[in-house]
Amino acid sequence: MVMSDKAKQHVDSCRFCWMCHHICPIGNATGHERSTARARALGISLVNRNTIPLEEIMDNIYECATCGGCVHVCVTGWDPVMFTKETRLHAALEGKLPSYIQTLLDNCLETGNAYGKTALCDGLTAAIKKHEKKTDTLLFLGVDARYMACEQAKKAIEVLESAGVDFTTLADEPASGAQLDFLIGAANETKEQMTAAAKVLDTFKTVVVYDPNDAKALKQLYKEYGVELSCAVVTYTTYVAKLLKDGKLQPKNTGKTVVFQDPFQLSRDLGEIEEPREIIENYAVLGEMLLNRDETIWAGNILMAQYLPEVIDEVARRRLFNAESIGATTMVTASVSEYWALKHVKQDKIEVLSIEDLVLG
Amino acid sequence: MQYQMNEFLFSMILTELEDAVGKENCSTRAIDKVTHSVDYYWLSRMWADRGCLMPEADIIVCPKDATEVSKVLKIANYYKLPVTTWGAGGGTQGGAIPVCGGILLDTKRMNQIYEVNTEGMYIECGTGAIYKHIEWAANEVGKATMHYPSSLTCSTVGGFLAHRGIGVCSTKYGKIDDMVLQMEVVLPNGDIINTSSAPKHAAGPDLNQIFIGSEGTLGVITKAQIRIFDQPEDRRFRGFLFQDMHGAFRAARELLQKFKPSVMRLYDEAETATLIKKIVGVERKGAFMNVAYEGVKEMVDVEEKILLDTFRKYGAEDMGSEYGEKWWDEKITFFYPGHMMDIPQMFGTMDTIAPYDKIEEIYWAMKEAIETNFPQAKFIAHFSHWYEWGAMVYDRFIIDGKDVPKDPVEALRLHQAVWTCGVRTALAHGGVVNDHHGVGIKLGRLMKEQYGPAMQVFEGLKKTLDPNGIMNPFKLGL
Repeated sequence: MVMSDKAKQHVDSCRFCWMCHHICPIGNATGHERSTARARALGISLVNRNTIPLEEIMDNIYECATCGGCVHVCVTGWDPVMFTKETRLHAALEGKLPSYIQTLLDNCLETGNAYGKTALCDGLTAAIKKHEKKTDTLLFLGVDARYMACEQAKKAIEVLESAGVDFTTLADEPASGAQLDFLIGAANETKEQMTAAAKVLDTFKTVVVYDPNDAKALKQLYKEYGVELSCAVVTYTTYVAKLLKDGKLQPKNTGKTVVFQDPFQLSRDLGEIEEPREIIENYAVLGEMLLNRDETIWAGNILMAQYLPEVIDEVARRRLFNAESIGATTMVTASVSEYWALKHVKQDKIEVLSIEDLVLG
Repeated sequence: MQYQMNEFLFSMILTELEDAVGKENCSTRAIDKVTHSVDYYWLSRMWADRGCLMPEADIIVCPKDATEVSKVLKIANYYKLPVTTWGAGGGTQGGAIPVCGGILLDTKRMNQIYEVNTEGMYIECGTGAIYKHIEWAANEVGKATMHYPSSLTCSTVGGFLAHRGIGVCSTKYGKIDDMVLQMEVVLPNGDIINTSSAPKHAAGPDLNQIFIGSEGTLGVITKAQIRIFDQPEDRRFRGFLFQDMHGAFRAARELLQKFKPSVMRLYDEAETATLIKKIVGVERKGAFMNVAYEGVKEMVDVEEKILLDTFRKYGAEDMGSEYGEKWWDEKITFFYPGHMMDIPQMFGTMDTIAPYDKIEEIYWAMKEAIETNFPQAKFIAHFSHWYEWGAMVYDRFIIDGKDVPKDPVEALRLHQAVWTCGVRTALAHGGVVNDHHGVGIKLGRLMKEQYGPAMQVFEGLKKTLDPNGIMNPFKLGL
């Protein structure tokens, strides 16, 4: 298998190590041994030794959420996400992607989103059009919000409107490249999509990024890919926290006691931990689940639900159980994708709110 | 499988198993077979490292509870298919490797936490729960399981029960067999039974202790009530350096007659000079010992005084709390790749246990036997679980990669020879086959040497409970 020496070294270290077994949200949801970092490493190592064919492990390679929980708990610094993504790239180059991934990839390349959507939902088009005038500040909504969770996208716009922010939204917003990075890693196509997006974003002074997945791409992955961005990139939560500090949004006591579901992209990858909490504390009493901040457990997303719907449902259900275990009744999340996954769980014990829900009341 | 299976019959059995556990929890996929063929056993790792396939199960099933396990075992018994139970694969003895093919029963879907009972001081859970998860559940209500082995994050409750595991705080809180109240077990014929509602009684022999350590040969443990404890008000550490291990043994034995620390770990000079130096930072010649004592603050004050007075008598140098705290923080670091021995090295832990009158002699005899017969091997050890009457020794051999045969069969022969030599030496000096990793396929051949005619008790149980011999064949010497 074509793989960097570094990735091979990590594979050979992880293939016989079980230490992160407890942390994988997918493994915990499925109860399947293959859904673990060591199983993926073992599979890759056996492909590298020509013991089993690549096709046999590809489903398993796409069971990884790339949430980095395993990376975070590894005291030695081994990185299963790295070799998982390199394997995805290799399979793409070899034409050995599972058919359901190939479909998502084709959609990404043709429409900019893995869902193959070309039209925005009712209401969002109008909300975006209200802010089509060019300003210094772009609210970058991202493909999940635009095509799969448009109510949340509208609320994200509404929050900035209520603070009197002069901002722009784009009818033809470019894809950030985050989905391609998940699907095929560091392919030329991923970099090309990022480069195209950077060209558009750089026409603004500030880009406020609604989806933490896009925020991670713009603030972290672009540098790794060598894609230059001269605009200031700010996460939505940081931006809203500042609006509160500046008195542009008014605090309001909702009387709720809530726990916060840290999106791993914010807490682990970007080190943004306190800003969402600052927002929440303006509206509710904040409690904490046992695994919080950079130890957060991922609660699912929309993209993986396209091919593992029942697993993602269980991932989200387990995270809700964490909240229930400490007696919480409301969970707030800052990730549109996790919000979608949590909301899709049929349950009535935990109320799920987005940051926007909380701010707008 | 035990007999040649034709495609038609195989497909028939597969549909029955799918009916029992759900199609999505029944797999014949290559990735599932491979994943369940390599556990933490050195030989399985070496085999895979050499690009060879380990014995694989034909069908992987993941039942969600005892009812589904029962269905699987009834099917397996009817068709006389081997059933190997798999927790999380963290075992070192090859106990979970499906050496005869057949059905592999992965328990991890049985990971429910049914109840956190702070009145009865236990958590009732499925045995497929990763132990760390029940520790989290205990922590959420301000309690703790106090079972902290290095494999806390990667072994299931059932795995610890099946192999009689132990954690670093065992000296105060006990071994896994002390940690369990009631258990639910599915017998090989599919009957679901419960052990006594309390573990201490005079209602005959203790059913728990028949199944704990049985390594899936007598049935499948599906549910357990695991004890929880109050978090200690105070936990303190103290590091000591002994000039030699003899003084340390005498000091430890005397201390244990007075109170029970939670952690007691004595490292021989070789391990002090290597692992302890690397991880904890002690750069001194001698035998390092770390002691933790915990509980109610007033009691801890008293225990600290007793500890210091006792150890002083035996010439121990008090190194303060720093190294002990560092050790506690890093207690699992020892086992991560990059800190731990790994392929291409050959290595193994030949842990055994004996009373104080024998344990030191066992250590020296095993060290001599390994170093004499296998001059390419290094021998290091620590003593990490202590009782009023004795202690266990966690002795390890390590052979550099350059001295390990490249041919997998030759490597297997060397590995077997070292183990046979080490364990036979332990047995000859009053030790046992194993202290807390179990027997598996690795040490089954030595069980009869330890037990002699007593082995017929185990064999009788096996024959009665599992007349078709389907449960984890060739493990535990059964």
